[in-house]
Amino acid sequence: MASLNPLAGTLGKKLATHLLRRATFGPAKNDIDIWAGNTVSQGVKDLFKALPAYDPPKDPATGADWINPKPTEANSPQEDLKEHLNVWWIDKMCHSGISIGEKMAFFYHTHFTTIKSRIRFAPAIYYQIALFRYYALGNFKEITKKICMDNAMLMHLDGQLNEVGRPNENFGREFLELYSIGKGVQKGPSDYTNYTEEDVVEAARVFSGFGIDEDFTGTDPESGLVRGRVKTGNGTLAARHDAGAKIFSKAFQNTVIEPKEMIDGKATEAAALDEISQLVDMVFDQEETARHICRKLYRFFVYYKISEEIEQDIIIPLAGTFRDNNFEIQPVLEQLLSSQHFYDQDNSVNTDDIVGAVIKSPLELVLGTLRFFKVEITTDADLEKYYETYYRAVIRELKFHGMDFYEPFEVAGYTAYHQAPSYNRNWISANYLAERYKYAENLLNGFYGENDNLLCKLNVMEYVADPKNISDPSNPEKLTRELTEYLLPQEITEERFNYFMNTILLDDLSIMNWKSEWQQYQLTGDDTNVRVQLERLVKAIMQSPEYQLS
Amino acid sequence: MNRRSFLKKIPIAASAPIILNGLPLNALARGSALYKMAAESDNDRIIVLIQLHGGNDGLNMLVPVDQYSNYYNLRPNIAIPDHGARRFINLDSTLPVKDQMGLHPDMKGVKELYDQGKVAVVQGVGYENMNGSHFRSRDIWFMGGDYNDDYGSGWMGRYLDHLYPGYPDAFPSESMPDPLGLEIGTAVSLAFHRANGIPTAVSVDNPDQFYNLINSVGGLPPESVANTHYGDELQWIMDIEKKSNQYAGRLKEVYEQGRNSPGVTYPEKYPFNAPGGAVNNPLSAQLKMIARLLNGGVKTKIFLARIGGFDTHADQVESYDPTMGKHAALLYHISSAVKAFQDDLKGLGLEHRVLTMTFSEFGRRPASNGSWGTDHGTSAPMLIFGKEVNAGVVGTNPDLNNLERNNLKSQFDYRQVFGSVLQDWMGASDPDMEKTMLEDFVTPQTKLPLISDGLITAVEKQDFIEKRFRLENCYPNPANSIAVFSYFINRHSFVSLNILDTNGKIIKEVVKEQQSVGSHEVMVDVSQFKPGAYIYRIKAGEWEVAKRFVVVR
Repeated sequence: MASLNPLAGTLGKKLATHLLRRATFGPAKNDIDIWAGNTVSQGVKDLFKALPAYDPPKDPATGADWINPKPTEANSPQEDLKEHLNVWWIDKMCHSGISIGEKMAFFYHTHFTTIKSRIRFAPAIYYQIALFRYYALGNFKEITKKICMDNAMLMHLDGQLNEVGRPNENFGREFLELYSIGKGVQKGPSDYTNYTEEDVVEAARVFSGFGIDEDFTGTDPESGLVRGRVKTGNGTLAARHDAGAKIFSKAFQNTVIEPKEMIDGKATEAAALDEISQLVDMVFDQEETARHICRKLYRFFVYYKISEEIEQDIIIPLAGTFRDNNFEIQPVLEQLLSSQHFYDQDNSVNTDDIVGAVIKSPLELVLGTLRFFKVEITTDADLEKYYETYYRAVIRELKFHGMDFYEPFEVAGYTAYHQAPSYNRNWISANYLAERYKYAENLLNGFYGENDNLLCKLNVMEYVADPKNISDPSNPEKLTRELTEYLLPQEITEERFNYFMNTILLDDLSIMNWKSEWQQYQLTGDDTNVRVQLERLVKAIMQSPEYQLS
Repeated sequence: MNRRSFLKKIPIAASAPIILNGLPLNALARGSALYKMAAESDNDRIIVLIQLHGGNDGLNMLVPVDQYSNYYNLRPNIAIPDHGARRFINLDSTLPVKDQMGLHPDMKGVKELYDQGKVAVVQGVGYENMNGSHFRSRDIWFMGGDYNDDYGSGWMGRYLDHLYPGYPDAFPSESMPDPLGLEIGTAVSLAFHRANGIPTAVSVDNPDQFYNLINSVGGLPPESVANTHYGDELQWIMDIEKKSNQYAGRLKEVYEQGRNSPGVTYPEKYPFNAPGGAVNNPLSAQLKMIARLLNGGVKTKIFLARIGGFDTHADQVESYDPTMGKHAALLYHISSAVKAFQDDLKGLGLEHRVLTMTFSEFGRRPASNGSWGTDHGTSAPMLIFGKEVNAGVVGTNPDLNNLERNNLKSQFDYRQVFGSVLQDWMGASDPDMEKTMLEDFVTPQTKLPLISDGLITAVEKQDFIEKRFRLENCYPNPANSIAVFSYFINRHSFVSLNILDTNGKIIKEVVKEQQSVGSHEVMVDVSQFKPGAYIYRIKAGEWEVAKRFVVVR
């Protein structure tokens, strides 16, 4: 049976790599070597560092930040600012070190996904990302409450249009279906087990009467982050909020939600906000909510298929941990990532290995590569170059690989995170796979800017010649072994090893030949011959099916 | 699941006779000429599916004219008007009153195709207990299952998998050198998934680029793959890589050999104002590519194209004009692109091989919301295009007086539509239908008469067309110097067009001659007419119709 029991002992190289690839945006060799000597429990604990403080993004048009105060005429257009935000966030991911926080922030984006073209104001997206990062290692139930009042979300799902007497169900439905309890099996007309169509209507009533804060000044008292507002008309009451009693179905024990304080038939501002809190509490009181979230976490960090065995042995107990800890995210992740199951050590069956069984997301593939090879990317000291580099070397690549960042095709988010039965297999189509392979070539050739200036490039020679990376580059066996071992998720067969070494690196020439080529290089400094072969090797590894897996 | 349980679950329309153009009709009998013909030959027919992503508002696409005041009261802020320059287009005056419907004013292309006998409308398509979730409901349409089924495969995938045993290893083959299915874009939907292994379709955006891309990358794959979770994923990637290598060259070749009809222009933009994202026609390029591939000789059986933006919770229409806005633009895109596609196919001599159909995960709620939009609903009409369709309307207008939980009741199960098309159009055999798990939807009680039947067809279609002539509104109206009268006739006949005063006295004989099939236009100098109202009346054979226009000074 699958087991959540903690795995004892040290991680070792293979399991350390597994943990770091899944829990972060990818390790460098040095990180793997450090984590390999750790115990499992220590290795997992060390992932939980608070996210560092950060500066808001800067606009090349002004050279200054545009968050506070909000953008003016002097700033770049909103559409550009939104692109800049993508770069800014991905830069954070790229340089987040070994920490699970940035990956959890991204998890929140895949869960509470909004589409940037539906969000008119760039600052709203900034504050949403800030919210994801603020709660990265925090409380899931709290962030669920906050997202209901998030300006970007209020725009994305028409929440700002939802008013008493003119309801708009868009957010109410997706809140139940996507963000919290999830849709269950449909039992009959309008009955989705976990909620009914009537609950969608009642939830929409709870969410009525909130709007965008276009000044971006009103803040949430807990996080201090800017949020939406209660529509008060000319007064101080929640004028557009439905103040009637909302009666939920038996799926929610016929709970009634109504304003705790009313004046002249209108809810007070606090009472309207409090209804959101009541609703989230009601939904999180249902056992299914914790399970639904745990399934999503499992698919994100572990494996996309959830068998009945996994449901019983992993999901249900994990959901118990989640509830026992009042929906704090850290205990759940610690338990999952420390478990025998996560490391394939819970049984003697070897057909169910999880190591290597996840198809990397485009983000994991691209950032994982940049981080492993420590490809140098400019800082925001040169703003133009900074945005152009990330745009060309990352954002555009992600799009080619099927991840249009912050712009998925549909409201449910990126297909790979929700579309049964294939989930992450959706990252692989004929086009996407070819583009992933093409990326290897692009990175080795270098990405160039509009003026043909080099933006960034994977310099294989530099990497291989550094003894911190490769112990003895003159030895082609060691060289190939070390690269494949650190870059590929599972051991490869001898035959496969020989393909990489003999066919690719040595071009079917002798080992002696390579040794002399390398000595030649060391003597003369002329790297022409060895560089070509090394680039071929790295490209072949990156263009292998194995490299697509984590 | 137990396959037999389907039988119990088809309450929709199974007991009532199926209505075509207001008349009860027996579905194509199993022994019919067409059925035999289709089943015997290795036919070259194909299906093009157009997915309307987000849930299309069927009631603003096809207005139930017989219940107009009800319709209006349910959605006063977004209702398509029954008067004015942009009133709905009456689809077919020959239908019984209770079936009368109005096309959205931006769907002129569909109306033209309808008059040519190339459109079948299937009213009220859905399934029992429709799911309000986009994602779940779309999966159901793709799966070909019930509301509570959960298949890992799609109906197209199962059909193609059975039609081409041995996929993927045995393909491409000499008789089937092309992908079995082709999805336009970069990803492949659940619809094409088989029970196991890679899907039966490849996704392509542009065959040239696709070829160049595929050919520039890749190395040798590993020779053996372990029987593990890790191995499963490796195999999946390797299989897709192999298929794309195999198909890329062929698709490029076919594409380069193919061409579109020289005289046909695919629409690029919505001609009126619409929100930025809705202006460009996203369907044109997709259908144009399909026509070109077909002309080049591609043998792919099912194509899937997609147009998004139908989730119109807000701003479905412009607040100042319910006939304008996002949804109007989308309907224009469908109508104009399909019209161009159909004309293109005709020009290429391919019209008899292609059936095109639209579908969406659900319709929208009859009552509009306060944001000039509509929330998720249930059943909606499907449009089927092709030279060989049984032109006309299957089913009747939804009953707005008889809603179920504020939503429309279904008249037909979506699998009746897909199943009938697979059997009568593609010639799917009984075992094909069983493997596709649609066999219960093509019984004599459930099958829909969507495809016209062999020899009888020609006559039936002729009848259909002869019943459908058209006199356009004169323009400008009011007129002051020149008035232009135009009309369309479907039969070579003696035409008289006269202008009468309001007492019925003929003021001017405009046309009095034999005329050929097609559009006619005639300009009349009315500068000498006294200001006031006039009637213009056309007669062609037994067809006669009159309209009013006004002369002003």
